[in-house]
Amino acid sequence: MAPALINANPTIFAPTKQSLRRNDLNARALWIDQRDESDEDTEAEEDIDQQEVFDLIRGISDPEHPLSLEQLHVVSAEQIELSRNRVLVEFTPTVPHCGMSTIIGLSIRVRLMRCLPERFKLDMRVKKGSHQSEDAVNKQLNDKERVAAALENPALVDVVEQCLSTASKRDDMNPLDL
Amino acid sequence: MSPGVELLSSVLEKCPANRVNTQATRVLVNFYCGKLDDSDTVIPALKGLVPLCKLPTFTSSDAIQTIESIIRHVTMKVQVQSTRYMVFRIVDTLLSRYREDLKKMGTSFLRGYINLAEGEKDPRNLLLAFSIARVLLIEFDVWTLIDDFFNITFCYFPITFKPPPNDPYGITTDDLKDALRKALTATPHFGRLALPLFLEKISIGSPTIKRDSLSAISESFPVYGPVIAREFATQLWNSLKLEIFQPTDDITENAALSTTQALIVCIYSDSTDNENIQGLARDICEECGNILKEPEKSRAKPAIKVIAALIRTSPPITHFALEQSLPLLLKLFLDPAEISTRPATLSALSSILESLRELASKADGRNVEEEQPLEPYKDQLLGVLTVGLKSSNTCVTAIQGLLQWINIPGALTSEELGFVVHSVNEASMTKDAEEDVREAALTLLKSVSLKEPHHIEENTLPLLFASLPDRGPERQATEERAYIWKTLGALEKLCAQPSLFETLVVKLSSKVELLCSITPLQEAPDGRAEERECNAAYAHAMLMTLSNVFSQKLDEKHTDLPKYLNRLIPRLYNLFVYFAYNPEPQLCVATHPHLIDAASRIIVLTMRSLNVEDQTAFVKQLFGLYLEGQFGSILEGHFKIATNYPFAPFKDGAPESQRSLSVLFSAPLLALRTEVKLPVESELAFFRSMLLWSVSSQSSDAQSVSIQKALAAVLNRHVEGLSQFLTSDAHAFWAEHIQSSSIDPSVRTRALEGWLWITKALVVRSHPSALQFADLLFTVFDDPIIGWTAARTLGQIAKASDILSKKYFAVVRILHTQKYVQHVLPRALEGCEWKGPDATQQTPYLIAVASLIKSVPRTLYSGQLTKLMPFLLRGLELDDSDLRSSIIDVINEAASEEAPESKLISEYASSLVSIMLKIVGTSNGQPVGVRLAALRCLGVLPSCVRYDVLHPSKSNVIRQLGKVLDDPKRSVRKEAVTARENWYSYHG
Repeated sequence: MAPALINANPTIFAPTKQSLRRNDLNARALWIDQRDESDEDTEAEEDIDQQEVFDLIRGISDPEHPLSLEQLHVVSAEQIELSRNRVLVEFTPTVPHCGMSTIIGLSIRVRLMRCLPERFKLDMRVKKGSHQSEDAVNKQLNDKERVAAALENPALVDVVEQCLSTASKRDDMNPLDL
Repeated sequence: MSPGVELLSSVLEKCPANRVNTQATRVLVNFYCGKLDDSDTVIPALKGLVPLCKLPTFTSSDAIQTIESIIRHVTMKVQVQSTRYMVFRIVDTLLSRYREDLKKMGTSFLRGYINLAEGEKDPRNLLLAFSIARVLLIEFDVWTLIDDFFNITFCYFPITFKPPPNDPYGITTDDLKDALRKALTATPHFGRLALPLFLEKISIGSPTIKRDSLSAISESFPVYGPVIAREFATQLWNSLKLEIFQPTDDITENAALSTTQALIVCIYSDSTDNENIQGLARDICEECGNILKEPEKSRAKPAIKVIAALIRTSPPITHFALEQSLPLLLKLFLDPAEISTRPATLSALSSILESLRELASKADGRNVEEEQPLEPYKDQLLGVLTVGLKSSNTCVTAIQGLLQWINIPGALTSEELGFVVHSVNEASMTKDAEEDVREAALTLLKSVSLKEPHHIEENTLPLLFASLPDRGPERQATEERAYIWKTLGALEKLCAQPSLFETLVVKLSSKVELLCSITPLQEAPDGRAEERECNAAYAHAMLMTLSNVFSQKLDEKHTDLPKYLNRLIPRLYNLFVYFAYNPEPQLCVATHPHLIDAASRIIVLTMRSLNVEDQTAFVKQLFGLYLEGQFGSILEGHFKIATNYPFAPFKDGAPESQRSLSVLFSAPLLALRTEVKLPVESELAFFRSMLLWSVSSQSSDAQSVSIQKALAAVLNRHVEGLSQFLTSDAHAFWAEHIQSSSIDPSVRTRALEGWLWITKALVVRSHPSALQFADLLFTVFDDPIIGWTAARTLGQIAKASDILSKKYFAVVRILHTQKYVQHVLPRALEGCEWKGPDATQQTPYLIAVASLIKSVPRTLYSGQLTKLMPFLLRGLELDDSDLRSSIIDVINEAASEEAPESKLISEYASSLVSIMLKIVGTSNGQPVGVRLAALRCLGVLPSCVRYDVLHPSKSNVIRQLGKVLDDPKRSVRKEAVTARENWYSYHG
């Protein structure tokens, strides 16, 4: 039998719709048979936005359950703030005493370190009032040296890799399959 | 003495059965049985007994004597596999021929056999032993020896045997598993002994062992019976529950669910009290019911799966499970305090409906249509689902539930179905409906359209048609246009059903006609041109919708298509010919080439649905119109065309508005049946003049290609009648229009395109001239103007084309592409290796190779990939992004397939890495497609190349990919993320 879980029966939320960006794509082309080409072929710049950052982290698994951070409402697009060269990701632990918060935060940080251009400065925080040792967690996650030290601990890296292994699978998931 | 016995046995093996009489058999049995107690002769004696016991003269007393001697004298443990195998074969034969006699022997035989079989290890022998054990367990009185039988069978469970590679005996793990499972489930006496063992294996085993145990348990219930099942019910459920609520993987979870089903079916198989369900089913339902009180929690998901599994068992359990879950969920949904859990509640309800639908679609004798288990909850459930439709976070789930429901036969009356359609329309057919709601709704409506199309016709179609405006939206009105496209997309999905299709054709064709004759709003010439463009785009979208439905119906082999030859096709010709006479054709909607293209698609599709007679009649009308200016029934339609107008699009000096209608002349010819003769005096003269027209200044590029394709279709069907063209005309055409450098380059390019189609038409039917024509292309490779185009053409010829396929009635020979590739590829490769003073002379050959590879299926060159690789890498240096991305695609494909090519990729891995990294650097301005392909290539390398090969590049690749993460295109960034991820997890 597995060891007792911190939160054995968490609430699951339906994943939000696939990237909402598709909808505002609309019909920029005039001809119906050119609608799909319009996007691919132009070299128009598309800036990194909130949705894109969210797409990067929504599929990360919870360390305790085979569920994504999105399904548990740990992260959401609204909780991501983005300015020119700075990203702030806020996340919400499922229970205030969640001991996995730092692992979750670390996973998000590693994912973004790997997937966002270097120019971004990355800040993380737990949602205000959602965790009993909020300050400690925040401090731990934003301290460069502590993060670096954590990433030299092979056991910890294994756990993080485990959480990240599902991160890119988000696209194949059927959003309706609760 | 043993060689003597050996000789005798060998003779007996070959001896025809009728040559050994009863007397001889008797003597032989006595002789062999006597030889069994001597270790020197036991092997040859057994060898003789194998054929002997099959003889018709072998009697039951012989059988008893044989088996007794074997039991007494043969010690299995000291014998090799082949000898033991003979023993099992003899027992097997005796058991099938003298079963009653063996039964009379009682326990002495059974005990003897158990001794023989005990400790057997070889899979070949076990396969026989298991089937013998099954017979004994079923037919013999084994009760007193049940422990021994348990020991000689259950000790093999679970089977962990894996056949060695290239196993000559071909015994698979599954063969053994099946045989063993049949033995284990042979007798109810095993029940009390077996179930604890299975349970133990489930709790500690690996996933495979769990699955084996679960399926063995499922199969054992019908044999072990309800009494035993009830005895172990709680223990079993506790164990199954763990596999369902904390599943190791999907397969095991499903296996556990079906074992639960089997358990429930078994427990209640002898129950007579269907009204008052007690015992395990009640316990399970109550337990799951408790969990479902919090439907949004993670445990609710497996709980609903259990309920759904129970629903799919037997009628009383179905009713009971529904009674235990539905009212609870319905109440929860309607509880104002539980609004936040509504999505989860609906999803649970939807799963229940799905299980009922699955139950109804299973053909196992249950008549769900008569049972109608949903009847008591119908109104409330329908109410809840309708409420669900009205809120954005539950709408999709509600639609999915309804979709399951309408697919349960007889579950809803036609009236209720109409109500469902109406409610779904309201929720989904509005302008601001979410995309996924719409999609789910369309799936539901489509499903209704196949059952009761009149609901769609009466409810949905009017809504959709009403949202189509009379005029095309302006260029900037992207939202409006997107909505129109969505509406047309919905019509496309719903209207394949014949009666709905008829409505669609009438409505859309009238709308197009109306749009073409509408009075323009703008007056300034610029404004009018823009307005025409927008209206044409709208009309085009409608015609494309029709053509898409035509194509869908053709694929599904609907039979109502031919009637549109008279209903729709003349209307199209009428429309386009009428507007060709307009004094200002450049401002008419109907003269827009895009629109004409869309119409031509519909015409080809209709042609493909016609038989020879209809095609012949139509082609006659068509040629009459285009070649002789006769206005026949082909022009009957909405617009009145004066009969004295001259119509001759192919005549010198014909107005552009008429020439552009050449597309509608070539379209029907693309799907010509071989039997249909062209209504011309000389096909050759027709062919010649059309080919010349296609390279003359009389035609535009698009018109030229469309005619050339039609000519290819004609040549493909009627090559016999055109032999003179192949032998003389073609060569003259080559010399005058392609080879001669004094000709205008644009004419030469066009002529090459014509050459492409002519050669293609011949290649697909493996005509001897095809290769000859292809060879001519090599002769112009060094031409500074058309050399590269010719090289590309060489490859494009091999590319499969829709119009030259069986679907279009083309004459196609098998392996034609192979023949072509085998002919041209070696020559092109030779050219690539050609060493001359000027390296650029190799370039067209490289292009030809790349273009060929791009055009043909992988299997045609995969064998030669080793040879091709260096050229492909050189091809990447060419300044042609199309070729470059297709070369990378080829490499990616080779890389994504494991061995044997992975070795090949490894060999070039480091050069691939550096080439691809060079490509993805944004500074050198590669097109998006090439960047994506290169990133895919980088991403796939870690999975097919050994780590030690690429280990030195790892940190560099990760660093370089880090820069690509800032690419201006989102799709490129995404691919870079994936590639980088693969390199991060690339370890030794």
